Parts: sequence; structure tokens; C-alpha cells
Amino acid sequence: MKSIKRTQRIITLFLLLFIAGMAALVIKIQREAPFYMMNSDKHELGMVYDRTGEVIFDGSGKTQFADGALIDLGNLIGDDKGQMTNTLVAQNIDKLNNYSFNAGLVREGGKAAIYTTIDHYANRAVYNAYMGAKGCAVAYNYKTGEILVCTSLPNIDVTKGYDGIADLESGTLISKALYGTVPGSTQKVSTVISALEIMGPDKLFAKSYNCSGHYTNRTGGVIDCHNTYGHGDQNIQQAVENSCNPFFAQLVSDPDMPLSSIEKVYTKLGYAVNGAKEQYIDIDGIQCEKASTTLVDPDDFNTQWACIGQGETLVSPMQLMMWQSAIANGTGKMTMPHLIDRVTDVYGDVSELSKTSYSKQLFSEETASTMRQILLTNGANHYTGSIPGFTLGIKSGTAQVKEGAEDNSLLVGFVDDPRHPIAFCVLLENRYSTPVTSEQIVSTMLNAICN
Amino acid sequence: MKNNPFAYVLSGLFVLLAHLAMLANIMYNGNYAQLSDVWTLAGTVLGLDLAWFIIMPFFRQHSHTVDFILILILNMSLIFQSCFGEVHLALKHMITCIAALAASRIGFFLCRDHNWIAKQKKFVWIGIGVVMIIILLFTGSRSMWINFGSFTIQPSELLKPLLVMACATSVAEQQKKHKLLWFNVVWENLILLGITAAICLLQWWCRDLGSIPTFAAIYAAGFLMRICYPKAKFSKKTLIGAGIAVLAIAGIGIKLAPAYVRDRLFVDIWSDKTGNGYQQSQALIAIADGGWFGKGPGKGFLHNVFAYESDIVFSTISEEWGLLFALMVIFIILLMLAIPLINPARSYYHGTLAAGVCAAFTVQMALNIFGSCNMIPFTGVTIPFISMGGTSMVTSGLMAGMLIASQSPEFGKLPTKKAPAKKKKPASRPAVRKGAQA
Repeated sequence: MKSIKRTQRIITLFLLLFIAGMAALVIKIQREAPFYMMNSDKHELGMVYDRTGEVIFDGSGKTQFADGALIDLGNLIGDDKGQMTNTLVAQNIDKLNNYSFNAGLVREGGKAAIYTTIDHYANRAVYNAYMGAKGCAVAYNYKTGEILVCTSLPNIDVTKGYDGIADLESGTLISKALYGTVPGSTQKVSTVISALEIMGPDKLFAKSYNCSGHYTNRTGGVIDCHNTYGHGDQNIQQAVENSCNPFFAQLVSDPDMPLSSIEKVYTKLGYAVNGAKEQYIDIDGIQCEKASTTLVDPDDFNTQWACIGQGETLVSPMQLMMWQSAIANGTGKMTMPHLIDRVTDVYGDVSELSKTSYSKQLFSEETASTMRQILLTNGANHYTGSIPGFTLGIKSGTAQVKEGAEDNSLLVGFVDDPRHPIAFCVLLENRYSTPVTSEQIVSTMLNAICN
Repeated sequence: MKNNPFAYVLSGLFVLLAHLAMLANIMYNGNYAQLSDVWTLAGTVLGLDLAWFIIMPFFRQHSHTVDFILILILNMSLIFQSCFGEVHLALKHMITCIAALAASRIGFFLCRDHNWIAKQKKFVWIGIGVVMIIILLFTGSRSMWINFGSFTIQPSELLKPLLVMACATSVAEQQKKHKLLWFNVVWENLILLGITAAICLLQWWCRDLGSIPTFAAIYAAGFLMRICYPKAKFSKKTLIGAGIAVLAIAGIGIKLAPAYVRDRLFVDIWSDKTGNGYQQSQALIAIADGGWFGKGPGKGFLHNVFAYESDIVFSTISEEWGLLFALMVIFIILLMLAIPLINPARSYYHGTLAAGVCAAFTVQMALNIFGSCNMIPFTGVTIPFISMGGTSMVTSGLMAGMLIASQSPEFGKLPTKKAPAKKKKPASRPAVRKGAQA
């Protein structure tokens, strides 16, 4: 009889293995059924709302939007037409479907929706502030990670469809905040962070370099300063405020700043250095580029140029803004941005709720605190007139693009106010041909968000 | 029947009630052109039920439980297959269901008597050999089918019950070990291993790679039974060695697998949903669309997809009848396989039969269901009794007959030398032979 029981154990083994597999299958189907349905031609999409409850996408197509009402959001929120894939709707379409495995597809009265963190009023104000110029602006709460503004120009009114898509201007169908751009002198924030991490604040502040309007490095390369008369002898604070290129070229080639150490800090910040694999930030399914640069030789022109923020260096405006959060928070950890505040299912029950998350430690708290002070001093000394009403930590940048034919203007920074913990990045393309300045855009943006 | 007629009638009523409930669902919720289609189906199903209930008592059995479950499943299967797309009587499937019932009787008669089948063992080996030769001669290297006009036969299916029988009949040889070099071996086990390997290679040659895991599972069940055989004396080293060998063979198999198999192993069905991932993606969409309770018999769309009635039948049932019902059907098949847990087999031979059938059925169901739902690579194997396919139905019926045999065994007389007529046995020696069989 004992041996017969063994036969039962073997049968039990086969049955239990199969039942375990079936249980896994049922769980898988329960979890993934909305995704399966989105791959069929049977959908009933719900709404996307901004942070005030305003509809910014209606999957049913029943809402009548005013002409151009959503033009500031087109390439960020997107739609279900498949023309733009790196958008909120395209990447979260299964969450928007009024379907659940229990209820099936609900044609009428489904409450599947995405509630975003976007402030449409502020976003539109920023869009208008560009006055037809091109570029992008992004701002978020550096305490919570909520993205409040993210607009990119030129943009598209998705409610009008895609007629004449071939005639659209380049960059219309992408949100530029998510893609790499030449950062100009905003790159110097990363270089100062590297210097602080490598040397420490005391040693860095003790360093002084001379600017005579240009600097010829050891290999014969010439780094020009925007001030042709030169800034004279400066310390790091003055160099940041003057955005002095020769100072930073000399800093990079300083024996106390080994290039391998700079490379290490840059890599920690998220740069893909010297052709390393590009990294991405995931923002609720939307893919955002980080940064890339080339560091070969500390005395090489291109390497120094890269650390100043020109040449081959590329950083996305979103990433520039996120570094500001690590400085503003004083922790050296970035607050990870999110666009979705919550998701409701077909019954209107909250199925997903956003949660603030942080990156790993990018740099020390001491570095964050010192960098914060440098930027705040820069803001206090240079921006109280152009961006009044806010205590700002800020750094400007001018990026030479199209082989020096055009200059893009950038401003990155943060508001030092616990009531309005806002970090931002504004990019204004071809700044000399626009009727607006990046400071005016920042001012409009902060006023729209905070007031 | 004779022992408990009340239970027999009650079981019959339960089966009838289950089928009536399904037919009522079709009538009120199904997609049919005219009501007569439903009546035709109802008449066929209930007629088959009643005929089986009448025929069964003519067979001398200890238990009819497996028979009741078998008719329950087969007629459920007939109802499913008759509803796909639109309600109509699936005549071909009905014929194969009847063939499966008949095969179950054959399986029962062949396997019920331990001692009789032990004497006929050589015919099992010959049967395996004949089928393998037929495959070699008549199917071709890229096909698993033999065509007879509009009928097709998949001869490799017949190898499954034969291998189960070979495993069961050879299990008693476990204690007859011989010295080979440094190893103690059982000749019959080695032959069985060789035959299983040959069958697997043949399946490879026919490009019926989906069946290989089923044969491997049958052999594995037999192997485990031999390990558990009284005084089998399997060392841990042997077990570990066997495990490593299996992993190595699986690894080499994947490495050497044809390109289309490797494509299936690593295909992302959602990025290739119009190509290699078409059937699976449509199958999953159908399950999602059906939800727990289904869209209604005949109201699905999956019947437009190739192999809806066989390879992805679980999804087709889920779409029309709901995932809950599809799971219930699978549960009923599991219940049939679990019967030996409630009513244990009476001998090690019958236990091995039950374990072999259990291994074959569970692995086939797993390959079909998990494969079509993208949990494992997709293969073209059938769900026993549910998928359409004549050869599969007949072999499933044969194996169900083996389960019936394990529930209602007979122990014929052992071959003994003629003893002197009235010689008294010594009082101290008990009548041990029957006990030894258990």
C-alpha cells in the first residue's frame, strides 16, 4: 500500500504543477487584459484632465474644444491616432480604456481617466509668452515631482487632425523638453558640481584664474569669452556669475581636476560619456533623454568646450531641470518628475496614485548646499530686475547651434520658497530673432504658476 | 451499478443537468440561424448521454466515475465545437467523440488485467515499432499527417498510449538488475529509454516538436514510478545525473532547433501581431473580450483565426463562454485525472498507467493553454477531448480507458506450473501471490 501511495504523490505533483500554472495564467490575464484590448480595434477611451479638472483629451471625441484650446499640449498629451508615440496618451492608452476584465467594454458612462499634474492655465500662458518663437519650457514642483508646465513650440492642435502633416515645421510632433539640446553655459552647473565633488568647496573657492577675453590652452586651442575685454582674476562664484568660458577651460585642465574624476561625476549625473550607452528617464511611460558628452583630454579644445556646454554636449531640458531639484532640495538626489497624478478605472475608482520618488545620490549634500548658494547669489545679483518677485537660484546659458549660425538661450533654476518649490528650464531658440527673452518667459511662467 | 443504482442514476442526472444548462444558455444567449439547429444539437447531446448510461452497466466495473466524467467532458466538447461561429451540429466532432468513447472501452479491456497485459507485452513493443515505421514511411520529414482523401491521421498520437502501456508493463522489471561495465542496469529500462529517445527524434524529423514534451513527460512519470518502486535502489547520484542530462538535452535541443521554432521561443507577439504572434495575440484579445462570463455561444470572432478549434481552443471557449467556464472544463479534466487520488489504483502497474495518463494529459493541456496565452512557446498540441482532431480524440479515449482500468482492475491467474492435484499447502505459507501484486 505504501508503494501505491507513491503513485498518488506523482499524480499530485503533475496536477499541482499544472494548477499552479493555471493560477499564474488567471492572474496574468486579470492584470494584462486592458493591454490586450488596446491591441484590438475595440476601445472606448476616457478623458485626460489637467490638475484643475479641465479636460485636455477626450477619447470619446464628444467634447467641443475651442479653436486652438489645446495647442500648448499637443505634443505632450498626444492622442490615440498613432502619429506621436512618445506622448502621455500613446504610452498610457490601456489605462484610458473603459474596459476591465470584470465589467468588459463599457460603451457609455465609463469613468476611466487620467488626472495629470499639468496646470493648463500656466502652460498656455507660457506658450503665449513665446509669441511665436520656438523652444520649450518645463517646470515642476521639486518637492513632489509634479510637472506643472511642459510646453514645446512649434506645437500641434490634435483636435484638428493631421491634415498637411508633411508641411509641419521640424520638431512640431515632439516635446523638445524630452530630447537632448546643446546646453550652453547651463552645463557649467555640472562642471561646478564635478569640481565641488573632486576638490571640495574650500579648495575650489581658493582657486582663481585669469580671463583676458580668451584663453589659449596647452594644445593651442583658443577658448573665447563673451566679454572680449576679459573678466580679470575671478573665483568660482564670480566665474559662474560672469559665465566665463576661459575660467572653466582652465578649471577643467587643472591638475587638481583629473579628467577621470570629472568623467566619474558626469557619469553619476547621468551623462553618457564618450559614446557610452544613452540613458533615459521614464516619465509615466514617456521616454526622456538624459545627457551625453565627450571627454578625451583635459587639454583638448573639444573636452574643455564640452565642459563649458558647447560642441558635442547634449542635455535634455527636463534633465537640466531635474539637476536643479537635487540642488534646491539640498540632498543631492533628484526628485523624479511625473505627469500622472492618479488614474481611475472604468468604475471611477482610483487604480493608480502617484508617489514622490527620488533618484539615487548624485552628489553630496555639501556639494548641493554650496551649489545652491552659488546659484542663489547669481539670482540675487543678476535676475531680481528681470524676474521680479521671486528668490531664485539660476544659471543662464547660450548655446551655439547650427555651427554657430544661431544662438539658443537657456535658463535653468529654482525658486527658493517653501510655498512654491518650483524648478524650471526654459529654452528659447534663435534668441536674437525673437521678440521675447528667456527671462520674460520664466517670469510669465512663475507668475502663472504661483499667483 | 449493481452495488449502488441510486448513485448511478444520480450521477447520470447530474451529467444530463449540466448539458441541459449549457443547451439552455445556447437557446437564450446563443447565436443561431434557426431554433432547429439548437434542437438538433440538444437531441444529439442528450441522446448520446442516455445511450452511454444504458450501455455502461453492461460492462463489469468496480466504478463508473471516470465514465461519467468522460461523457460529461465529451458532450461539453461537442457543444463547444458546435457553437463556434454559429450554432450548428459539428458532425465530424460528434463522430470522433463516439470514437473516443469506443476507444475508452478498448483501453479498458486492454489494460484492466495486469497479468494478461504482462503476457502481451511484446505486442506493445511491436505496436510502437510498427507505428514508428508507418511514420517513417508515410508522413515525410516535414509533416506529421497521413492523408486518406478528406481524412487525415496523425500516427504519432497513437504512440502516446502505447508508451504509457510500455512504461506500465516494464515497471516490474525494476528489480531485475544486471551488471554492465560499472553500472547495475535493467535491460528493459534501457530499451524504454532508447525507444523514448527514438520517438523524440522521430517527432523532430516530422517537425512535430510540440509532442516531444508529452512523450518526455510520459517517460518521466514512468521513470519516477521506477524510482519509487519497492527496493528500486536508485542512488542520489543517478537522480542528479538524470537531471543534468535532461537539462543538457533541453539546452542542445533549443540550440539545434529549426529557425521557426527559435522564432517562436523568443517572439514578442505584440510587436509581431500580424506575423508570428498573430494567433496568440488574437487568442489573448479574445479571452479579454470574453471576460469572466463570455460573449455568448457563437458570438465570438476567434473562429476566424486559424486553428481556433484545436490549438487555441481554450481562448475560443473563453471568448464565447467566459474564462470561468473554460477553467471549469479544465477542472473537470483534472478531476478525472485526480480520481486515483480518491480511489487508489489496486496495483503498481495500474498506478503507473494512471500516472502516465496524468502526465500526458497535464503536459498537453499546459502546452496548449500556456502556449496559446503566451506563457511558453506556442506549439500545435491539442487539449484532450476538447480540441477537434480525430486521432487525438481516439488516443485520448484510449488513455481514458486506462484510467477506467486503473479504477476497475482485474487480476487474472498468474501463470503457474501444474501442481499435483490435491497436495495440501503447508499451513505456515499464506496465499501470498495476490498480495504481492498489490
